[in-house]
Amino acid sequence: MSAVLNGVRKVGAYTYFAGACMRSAFTHGVPWDRVVSESYKVGVRSFPVLFTMALFVGSNLAIQGYAAFSTLGAGSLVGMFVALAGVREVCPLLAATMVAAKAGTEMAAQLAVMRTKEQIDAIEVMAIDPRSELVVPSIIAVMITLPALTVFTIFVSLVSAMAVAVLQLGVDQGEFLSFLVGYLSAYDLFAATLKSVVFGAIIATVSGYFGFYSERGARGVGEATNRAVVTMCIVIITLNFALTSLLYG
Amino acid sequence: MAELSTSATRPFDAIAAGEPIISFRDVHKSFGDKHILRGITLDFLRGETTVVIGPSGTGKSVCMKLIVGLLVPEKGDVWVAGTNVAEAHERDLMSVRRRIGMMFQDGALFDSMSVGDNIAFPLQRHTKLSDAEIRDQVAHALEQVGLPGIEDSAPSALSGGMRKRVSLARAVITKPEIVMFDEPNSGLDPLTSDEIDGLIGRMKEDLGITFIVISHDIVGTFAVADRIAMLYNGHLIAQGTPDAVLHSDQPTLRSFLARNMDLPPLPGDPR
Amino acid sequence: MLLSSLATALLAPLDTLGRFGRFGARVLALLPSKAWSLRETTTHAGTLTGRCLIPVCATIFPFGAVIGVQGMAIFDLFSAHRLLSSLLSLVIIRELAPVLAAVLVAAQGGASFAAELGAMRIKEELDATAVMGVDPIGWHVVPRVLAMTLVVPLLTTLANAMGVLGGYVVAVGMYDQDHGVFVHHMAQLVGMYDLMASAGKGAVFGLLVGLISTFRGYHASGGAEGVGQAVNDTVVYSVMFILVVNYQMSSLLFGGAGG
Repeated sequence: MSAVLNGVRKVGAYTYFAGACMRSAFTHGVPWDRVVSESYKVGVRSFPVLFTMALFVGSNLAIQGYAAFSTLGAGSLVGMFVALAGVREVCPLLAATMVAAKAGTEMAAQLAVMRTKEQIDAIEVMAIDPRSELVVPSIIAVMITLPALTVFTIFVSLVSAMAVAVLQLGVDQGEFLSFLVGYLSAYDLFAATLKSVVFGAIIATVSGYFGFYSERGARGVGEATNRAVVTMCIVIITLNFALTSLLYG
Repeated sequence: MAELSTSATRPFDAIAAGEPIISFRDVHKSFGDKHILRGITLDFLRGETTVVIGPSGTGKSVCMKLIVGLLVPEKGDVWVAGTNVAEAHERDLMSVRRRIGMMFQDGALFDSMSVGDNIAFPLQRHTKLSDAEIRDQVAHALEQVGLPGIEDSAPSALSGGMRKRVSLARAVITKPEIVMFDEPNSGLDPLTSDEIDGLIGRMKEDLGITFIVISHDIVGTFAVADRIAMLYNGHLIAQGTPDAVLHSDQPTLRSFLARNMDLPPLPGDPR
Repeated sequence: MLLSSLATALLAPLDTLGRFGRFGARVLALLPSKAWSLRETTTHAGTLTGRCLIPVCATIFPFGAVIGVQGMAIFDLFSAHRLLSSLLSLVIIRELAPVLAAVLVAAQGGASFAAELGAMRIKEELDATAVMGVDPIGWHVVPRVLAMTLVVPLLTTLANAMGVLGGYVVAVGMYDQDHGVFVHHMAQLVGMYDLMASAGKGAVFGLLVGLISTFRGYHASGGAEGVGQAVNDTVVYSVMFILVVNYQMSSLLFGGAGG
């Protein structure tokens, strides 16, 4: 029971933190130079990893989709499966997970180290709100970059899926493409983008929260990073369900 | 208990040199069940260098953090030039902080920025000076602390002593009224330690700032301090000029000092 | 100048890969010896399960639910709703449960192994252990790797059930599909082979994440930042390798053309 109460308290503390970040963005202004440098960091660093992952996941989508549909005698429908599963669910989640794993843990760790070295205190003493200085730029940066990365992931995985389907599984290229394009809709792309914006906000606020309030020392840094990753995963996947129900239910 | 009135309740401009500019009144601070500060009543006078000494863990750093509102006391008032930071709202706290510079124990420089950017940071965020003006001020500040030309170095490439000096430069660049030092001499060899003390002395002469220092280095303390305050077990057990402290016969104070320096014997001391 | 820095950039990951290989070989070589303790292993396995149980369930359940929602929407086009549970089981058991269980264990358990070992490394506790004549890899690393290799397949099996349950709740609970229809079609496309392949994937992933997390923690350097970096790298590389190995194993276990 106390564990539940503790959890509720933490959710409250997180909500307060996120709210305080938003408030300080308006009252203290946003250091836009940091937004730009953060966006660059998140985008460029996640790029190669996402590219590789999108290749593998796209291939996997093709293989599993083909395996499932060919038992129903409709192997050529794999193009449809790839378009729908890929765009609607897999790619937004893949991009969000990779960015959470890479950029999210980096942000949590960096804030935790700054906390240990009293750098956050130093900012406060200089009459600057550390949230608007350190956390808000990351929030904005990830909310802009993640949708772009998601679209990129979609593109790469679709191409990879097609390559596997046509070259390895023997699906007719024309059929694959016609099913792919036929079932790809603007609404799905919009939904995927919307999801990434929400996921981006979650990644930055959750990692910011755990890093900002970490305990000092090496163990504090490790724990903050650890908790940030797990919480991001759980929240993103649960929110994904809520968003999917909302958008497609 | 009668309310102690103090000039620290007046705004900065209404406090004369030698009058209290920061006042602790019956301040209590606990962490969990550790009662660190047990009713501290203490004044810091404008334009003077006050050094706070005492064994580890007696709450010296806590006092410093209370002054800037990084911590809030359970009980008592902390007056800083017209603002009771123990109860202040964020906006009032911010305006107090603009008049205070703080040098943290390990420098607390930002690893992601160069030395020059570190020092320029408060100027960039608080003033509307041009880049060229900021660059000039940074260069001047580095000269003042005896490290000209290292604007482009990374903080991690500097020695401990150099980091502290850069941190000092950053603390004073906005020309604050009050500057605080958390253990400026810790981890330094005696030579560098003397240099830091010399720097503090020169800055006092040049800028007329109120300095508050927390220190373990007792010998250095007596060289720079106008007033010394000693904390022990959460209480203030001595407060006064170096001369008064040196000749005090408070037993705890004497044994603490004796452990750290050679003291002239008092009548009755075993020899 | 440029050529030499390019060469260094390309060789660095190879060097790390080499060290990782040597590390893994040492761990495996210690298995038949008495250098590791069964009790340590079971303790770690218990802690791991305790820490990862809820995260795994909390992620696979909504995932199954999402497949339920999307599946219902898609099968609407073909009036083939009854096929939902078949597709659900297939995707969950073959792909999602092993991958998700492994990713969550990496994020929770792998990260904490890296953090624990990293903190021990920078506080020189690992050196102290070695000086006392105890092999730190045998004492600290091997039990953790073994624990992971055992726990991930277990959690995967649990995740199989939880994921299908998630889809069930959506299909039968929210979309009013008939309970009997769902259950009848559940096992149409999957069988014992798939369940075992799923656990097999889990074991391979567990071994992988165990080695990656202990390797990064064991070789952490540079104070508090080093620990943060070790956790960061563990999570990123674990997720990457899980996805890559998953593709390979799927090709192997579930075939290319023909399925």
